[in-house]
Amino acid sequence: MNKAIGLAGTSALLALSTGSVFATSAHAQVQTVDNTPEPATIRVAIRSMNPSGEPDPRGKIMYVQNIPFREYVEDCLPNEWIPSWNVEALKAGALAVKMFAWYHHLNPITMDGFTYDVDNTTNFQTFRYDSRQIETNAAVNAVFKYAYVRRNGEIIELNYRAGTQNSPNWQYRNAQKMAQWGSQYWADEGRNYLQILQFYYANRDLRQIRT
Amino acid sequence: MPVKGPKLWLISSGVAMLSLTLLPGQASAAPHSSQNSATTSETTQGYSANRNVTQSSQTPSAPAQPWPNAPAPGLPSTPQQSQGFRPYADVPTEKLRVRVIDGRTLQPLKGTEVVIAETEQRVTTNGDGYTPWINVPVLRSERFRPLVAELHGQLTAIAYKNGYRDSIHMGIRIHDGVRSETTIWMYKISPEDRRIEPVLYQVPYHHLWLIQLADKFRRPSQLGEGWQRP
Repeated sequence: MNKAIGLAGTSALLALSTGSVFATSAHAQVQTVDNTPEPATIRVAIRSMNPSGEPDPRGKIMYVQNIPFREYVEDCLPNEWIPSWNVEALKAGALAVKMFAWYHHLNPITMDGFTYDVDNTTNFQTFRYDSRQIETNAAVNAVFKYAYVRRNGEIIELNYRAGTQNSPNWQYRNAQKMAQWGSQYWADEGRNYLQILQFYYANRDLRQIRT
Repeated sequence: MPVKGPKLWLISSGVAMLSLTLLPGQASAAPHSSQNSATTSETTQGYSANRNVTQSSQTPSAPAQPWPNAPAPGLPSTPQQSQGFRPYADVPTEKLRVRVIDGRTLQPLKGTEVVIAETEQRVTTNGDGYTPWINVPVLRSERFRPLVAELHGQLTAIAYKNGYRDSIHMGIRIHDGVRSETTIWMYKISPEDRRIEPVLYQVPYHHLWLIQLADKFRRPSQLGEGWQRP
């Protein structure tokens, strides 16, 4: 008898707790392009350089720089993609760089006493202040009003990796990451930036951002 | 006294190496002048012609464009077709514009002289801190060409302005087929500066090329991070 009451109590407690969990998740705000404004600025942790003068992904964080969001995307793209690549590959890259940064702006990190969204190395995206180029700026300009998100509008990280040259990089599609060399491959094959993004990421939509 | 075989070999190989390192125009002065005279004169003529092109482009009335292969401004940036033999390969050129700013105030610096070290081109910045567009060669490092071709050329620019430290900007990326821009930061000389020396800024290699370089020599069974996995 006591045991039965005990079990019933336990199950009631479980139901209560699981109910509350479900209630929490049901009411949790999913950050979508409809309810989340595009960031105006982004916090970039600047890491120390290695002895040869290149940003060190394992270096100490020296300071956190607040940079206008669009400026950040413009100063990342030529250091991630190659400015002489096909313009459609650059546009696909511009959207990936933007959505990656947007996601991390919504999910900041606190480390070593600094709170930041991204750092300036390949830990996140390679960023060099004032390194923008004409061709990459044009690509950013062409796609900046768009967001590439889940079907419900949820902002998620668009991950990408280098990949290998002259290959469609199918394995990256399986992993839901865009291959940078793959974007150039498909652009040279005549695909536009949306077709390139659709090749590497499944179940996503291109949305225009409401201003 | 008879000379031993190995010593002779050393001397002859030394001459061969010396002749290889000499410039074509100096070939007639080399100790092995007993070679085919027709070949020597052709090489000398070719080099002289090339030198003449260089000298004629440095006339005082013309703007400073000493790079012998650079086409005139406004022309499409294709390798120049020159007459006669030239010992150097044609180098494609692209447009470059440099912006010079004060490193502390981030304001543009007017009247700064910018020199492209590899070509000795000299240009001056306008009120917005920009130099005019100039044709520059897309130079890739000879060290890496046989291994993994660099994804872009690299150049060095030096900025000079009264009251500022000299700024050396190395590794400026010049991409094939597109215009390139770069920014040089200059720092004002202040009374507390004791040693006034140039400031160096080195543009890092593009990460995509570094990945290619590391992969080039990776064994299939290599320890380490291995091939990139998605």
